[in-house]
This record gives sequence, C-alpha cells and structure tokens, in this order.
Amino acid sequence: MIRPALAAALLLAAAAAFPQSAEEIVRRLEANQRFRTQEAEGSLVITDRFGSRTKTFLSYAEGQERMLLAFTNVEEKGQKILRLRDEIYLYFPEAEEVVRLQGAALKESVMGSDFSYEDLTGEKSLLDLYEVKLSGRELLAGREQFLLELKARARGVAYPAQKLWVDVEEYLPRRAEYYALSGRLLKTLEVLEVRRVGGRSVMSRAIMRDAMKKSSSTEFRVQRVKLDEPLPKNIFSLEALSW
Amino acid sequence: MKFLLSLAWKNLSRYRRRTTITAVALAVGVAVFIWMDGWLLGAELESRRNIIWYEAGAAKVLNQEYLEQIQNLPLKQVVEDAAGVERALASLGLEATRRAVFSGELFLGEGSLFVKAVALDPATDGRVFRLQETVRQGRFLQTGEPETLLGEWLARDLGAAVGDWVTVRARSRFGAFQTLDLQIVGILNCPNPVINQGTIFLPLDLADQALELEGAVSEIALAFPEWQEPEARLGQIRRALAGFPELAVADWQELARDFLAIAEGKRAGTGMLLLLIFIIAAVGISNTMLMAVYERVREIGMMRALGMRDLSIRLAFLLEAGGIGLIGSALGLVLGAALNWYMVRWGLDLSAFIGDMQVGYRVHSVFRSAWHPQALVGAVVFGVLASMLISFIPSSRALRKRITDCLRHV
Repeated sequence: MIRPALAAALLLAAAAAFPQSAEEIVRRLEANQRFRTQEAEGSLVITDRFGSRTKTFLSYAEGQERMLLAFTNVEEKGQKILRLRDEIYLYFPEAEEVVRLQGAALKESVMGSDFSYEDLTGEKSLLDLYEVKLSGRELLAGREQFLLELKARARGVAYPAQKLWVDVEEYLPRRAEYYALSGRLLKTLEVLEVRRVGGRSVMSRAIMRDAMKKSSSTEFRVQRVKLDEPLPKNIFSLEALSW
Repeated sequence: MKFLLSLAWKNLSRYRRRTTITAVALAVGVAVFIWMDGWLLGAELESRRNIIWYEAGAAKVLNQEYLEQIQNLPLKQVVEDAAGVERALASLGLEATRRAVFSGELFLGEGSLFVKAVALDPATDGRVFRLQETVRQGRFLQTGEPETLLGEWLARDLGAAVGDWVTVRARSRFGAFQTLDLQIVGILNCPNPVINQGTIFLPLDLADQALELEGAVSEIALAFPEWQEPEARLGQIRRALAGFPELAVADWQELARDFLAIAEGKRAGTGMLLLLIFIIAAVGISNTMLMAVYERVREIGMMRALGMRDLSIRLAFLLEAGGIGLIGSALGLVLGAALNWYMVRWGLDLSAFIGDMQVGYRVHSVFRSAWHPQALVGAVVFGVLASMLISFIPSSRALRKRITDCLRHV
C-alpha cells in the first residue's frame, strides 16, 4: 500500500516530467528565466560580410521591466541603452545626450547586430502574444527538446510565427526560429552554452543568425553573471545614464 | 554733356592698354556671374521638374501624422478611405493616383540594401508621374504580378538584371515582418537621382495584400496643370477635404524641403563667390582709376584754373569709369551668354566627377543651364554702376586739393 504523501509526491514528479500542455511548458520556461536581479559582463561578436567586430558590455536587469546595457569597448565606451518597460533610451557620451527611441527607430539594429531595439523590449509573456502548440519532441545536440509552434494572436507582433525548442530537463530554450507573415524564415537563435549559477541554469552563449543573409550573425557571450544580488541604487533612471 | 562724353572717350582711348586690361577683368567677372547664375537656375528648374514628375507630384494628400514623420515612412499612419478622398476631389477635376510607400531591405544573392519601396497603381500612376517614360530595359509594372522596377544605379550596385528575382523584407501596416519575392521586370534610368539610387517600385495591389493595407494607402498624389497657381489649388483641396480632419495636403515644396534648403544654401554660397569675383574686378577698376586720376592731377588743376567746375570734372571721371564698365560688361555679356548658350544647348556631363553621389539637386549627370534675362541685364547695369561708384573715391581726392597744389603736383 502506497502512502498518500508518497503517492502525491510521485504524481507531482510525473507532472513535472511530462507537462500537460504547451502553455505549461512556456510558463516553466519563463519562470526559469525570471530573476529578481541580474548583473552580467559579456560581449557581442557581430559578423557580417565586412568581417567581425566585438562589443563588450556590462548589463543590469531588475525583473522583466528594467534593463541597462553599458558598452565598455573602446569605440562605444560610455554608450548606454536603458529600457524602462516598453521605452528605450539611448545615451551618447560624446554628445552628452539622451535620445528616446520610438516608432520606426525601435526597428533599427543594436550596434549593427542582428538584434533590434524592439527585441530588447516587451515584458509580456509569450502566452499573451502567441497561441502555443506542442508539436512533438526532437533531439537537438543529443538532448531531448519540446518543439513548440507559436502563432501570433494579434497582427502587431513583429514575428507572426515562431518555433521554439525547449530542453525537456532544464526548461531552457535551445533554439528558436522566427518567421515572417509569408512563412519565410527570418532569424534563428541557437543557445550554444548554458551555465549553472547559484543552482540555476543561465544561457551563457547564444548566436542569432539572419537567415536571409548567409554571412550575418551575432554571438552573445556572458563571461560573468550574478543573480538576485542587490544592484546600485537608482541605476535604472535617466539621470543615472550620464553618470 | 557732349563735351564730357567725348573727353571720357578720349581718355579711354588714350590709355588703351590699361582700359583693355581693366575691361577684361570686369568681363571675366560678369561672364562667370552669368554662367553660374544660369547654371544654378537651370539645376533648380530641372530639379523642380524632376521632383514633380517623378517624386512628389504637384501635391499629395497624406495622413497628418505620416507627414510629421515622413522620413521614417510609417505604414501605420495611412489614408484609410482613399476612395472617399478621390470622390471628394472629383469635383475639382484633378488627376490623382494612389501610392503606398514603405522602407524595406532588398536582397539579391549575397547582397542586400535598404531601399524606399513605392507601391503604385500601374493603371493610374501615369496620370500624375512620368515614371513609365524612364524604363530603359524591360517593361513597366502590371497589376497583380509579383514584380518590381529598379533604378539603374541600384541595379548596378546589386548586380541585378531584368528577369532576376529579389526579396524585400519589410514590416506590415501593423508591424509584423513580411517578405515579398519579386521579379525584376524593368530597369529605370530616371533623371531624378533619388529614384535611380534607392527606390524600387511594385504593384499596389500586391503590397496591399502582403502588407495588410486593406485598401489604405500612404498618399494620394495629385497633378495640377502647369499654368495653375498652386496656392489657390491647395486651398480648394483643403476645403474639399474638410470631412477628413486627419488628412493634410502638402505641395511639392513642402515634400521636398531638403532640396529647397540645399538650393537656398547653395544660392547663398554662390552669391558669396560672385561677390568675391566682383570685388576682384572692382579692385582692378579702382586701381586703373586711381592711376588715371594721379597721372592727371596737373591736368585737373589746369582745367579747374580755366574755370571748369568740380562737378563737371568729377562727371568726366565717372563717365570714363562707366565707359570701362560698359566695355567690360558688354564683353562679359557676350562671353557669359555664349557659355550659357552652350550650357543650355548641350549641358555639362559631370557624371565622371560626381558619380552616384547626391549633390542635393535632383539632376542626373548632365547639368543644363537656363536663360535668366534679369541676371543678364542686372550684370551689365551692375558692372557699369559699380565701376562709376568705385571711381568716385580717387576723383574726390584730387578735387580736394587746391588748384595751385594741383598745378605744382609732380
């Protein structure tokens, strides 16, 4: 006779191992990537037909709504990108000017990379933006993945369709594909490395490729990351941008 | 007066070499002025025509918010009820055509370029624009076909030819990414370099479907008869569109503000250059008159001693200087008019120097001048009057001396 407590535990474990729905997978995926605070040091390696260049940065984030990216490489030293909810501000030290990005400017590329400023915005859950369908499981680099198909709920979503590969064990994204309205593949994101920090798994190396440009990619590398540690006060303010 | 004129003429012919050199200096100044003024006017008139014929029409009806952000070409701010606007304008008897304009990235093989994409109605575009006449290879667009027209420079940059397929990556009206596969059916060689360099054209119905426009357009372009005063027309259009408070009417000058600002700046810069040329010519005349006066101080003293009035003597010098001005200006007029005639007739092909570079003017490689009668007359009048004015100072100096000092002058 199995004791009721043990039975409940076994049921919970089974539920955890085999989530019931695509929505549940997305919720766990998002919960896994949610930190109270995050402080990281990393680099962007931007490659295009003219060659490769590296931008180094320090980043700070609080929840899903506030983020500060400060570039530290020689060419862009002092340039900062501040995100407050859906608003993006840029600071240029030479001009000593803060510019608020809006409208079409949000669609522009961040420092010539394959990420747009728009990619940095949006604290909304994927479930708010997309209808999600679990279309099966696939092996990716020897690890089993859930394959999710996402279809935009509204017409204003930048990528009308996505495919998402989520690691069955870690509930971390391993690959994503972004599609246009026509169904054409636009970009792919591949997670190349995951690091354990404070008992949690964090993406530490990923590459975004423009599927329409063979020689274009942006590799995102995190050298150092701290989670859930106090951040400097007032760091996410317009006044602090010029410090 | 007849005596003074004959005295001035005698003095001019007495110092023939000096007169010739000074007149030639002035002639060069006047000729350069006429040549450059005609050139600038020609570039402005041709730019204006190329803006109206290929870029802006005489005026456009657009969403007020779109007009404020027109550099970004936002597809969100549109003319929703294009048919309603056309009905409202029907009573004015204007020619109109619909266009949707957006920015996109054009891909061909390994290369890509950011372009301005203009979706037009092939059936009605010719009522306002003359794009169809600029197709050099292939043919014009057809409704409903996935095809595109490219400017010659853009095609060359991409290595594109008629028959090639390109892909345009853009955003829909609501902001979603979209791609359009289009076959190049024609290459344009438009006199407007903006069209040649960074613009592609595609059928409006295709863009309407792909970009979720649902009948909305970015603009309704209008053509006015050339003889008509645009201001009065704009007033009529605004009154006709009173039922569409979200819409604005902008004429070509408002739509091509960048060109007007550049043209104005260049006019000011050229004005400075011309002023310098005239100063150089004026220094020559001044020097000639100064020498003429100082060489003839004793002669002036003798004329005054014989009873000739200072005013008459001053007038004689002014007429002498005016004579140099007239000879120089007339020579300059002939030379400048000859240069201008060549520039009007044949123009100057600067493509080897400026290549694909945009110089502000909407002129493609061959710059042609225009005739500017006011400038021709103005240059001659200015040349004569300026010469006379310049001679005033040295003659005044000589007349300030006492008669006895003048006679003793060595």
